[in-house]
Amino acid sequence: MQSEEKYDDLTALFEAQDAALDSEVFVDRVMQPIRKRARWRGPLLFGAGGLGIGAALSQIGGLFDILSVRAASLTHSFDDVRPGSLDFSTFDPLWIGAVVIMVMSCVAIVASERT
Amino acid sequence: MKPDIDLARDAASGQEAAFEALVRRHQGAVRGTARRLARHAAEADDIAQAAFLTAWRKIASYRGGSFKAWICTIAYREFLQARRKRKTEVEFDEGAHIVAFDTSAARLPEHLDLERALKTLPENQRICVVLCVASGLSHAEAATATGFPLGTVKSHVNRGVAALRKQLAAEGAA
Repeated sequence: MQSEEKYDDLTALFEAQDAALDSEVFVDRVMQPIRKRARWRGPLLFGAGGLGIGAALSQIGGLFDILSVRAASLTHSFDDVRPGSLDFSTFDPLWIGAVVIMVMSCVAIVASERT
Repeated sequence: MKPDIDLARDAASGQEAAFEALVRRHQGAVRGTARRLARHAAEADDIAQAAFLTAWRKIASYRGGSFKAWICTIAYREFLQARRKRKTEVEFDEGAHIVAFDTSAARLPEHLDLERALKTLPENQRICVVLCVASGLSHAEAATATGFPLGTVKSHVNRGVAALRKQLAAEGAA
């Protein structure tokens, strides 16, 4: 540290120069995009979360109906399922696309969040 | 006055007012660092603004120590990015001309002397002097930020400081 304490005189000159640069205009310039982003970020996240929760809750009633109808057929164990019997080609591409978009959106939100 | 570490913690929890207090407290150091590194004041303020916006995103990664050194390190990285971008633009724009270093930030005669003296230093020496002497980074922190070996940073700072003092003394005597 000794060698780092030899230039206090110059540091003081630089600090005096820096103090002359203080400006409220610059503070506003920095804070404006931060405030702007915060204005839509909260409602957007809560809105998306609320929509997701609403969609999930709305499906619970239907899920119970399906379970009550299918309960008898669910007695099979997973061991009974033949390997390779799951055929993705029968899936509706629209649903696969929707799942991919949802996953990508979640990844994008997580990546853009502050660390 | 609330310490930087407490303000940073509040800012990390999303309190914009805490971050605004940090911007207000350190704007001079960041703008000063950017002006000493960049070619002109407008570019320097863009760099300073980008540094604060990056700091807002990464505020949770601030683990204490000198906030001024932390934010000035970010400003240095933003300067490097801006310079890289500028070089690419110049390569594609043959008609582009180099704008002279703007000294409009300097208001007092001793500031002008300091700016002038700083400009005469070789670039790597100037960077090390700016980071260690003006922005308050330790030699080790400056070595990490610049990628220069620690001994090189020390040597650049010592030579730069000696050259600045010599020039300031000469201009003071003139």
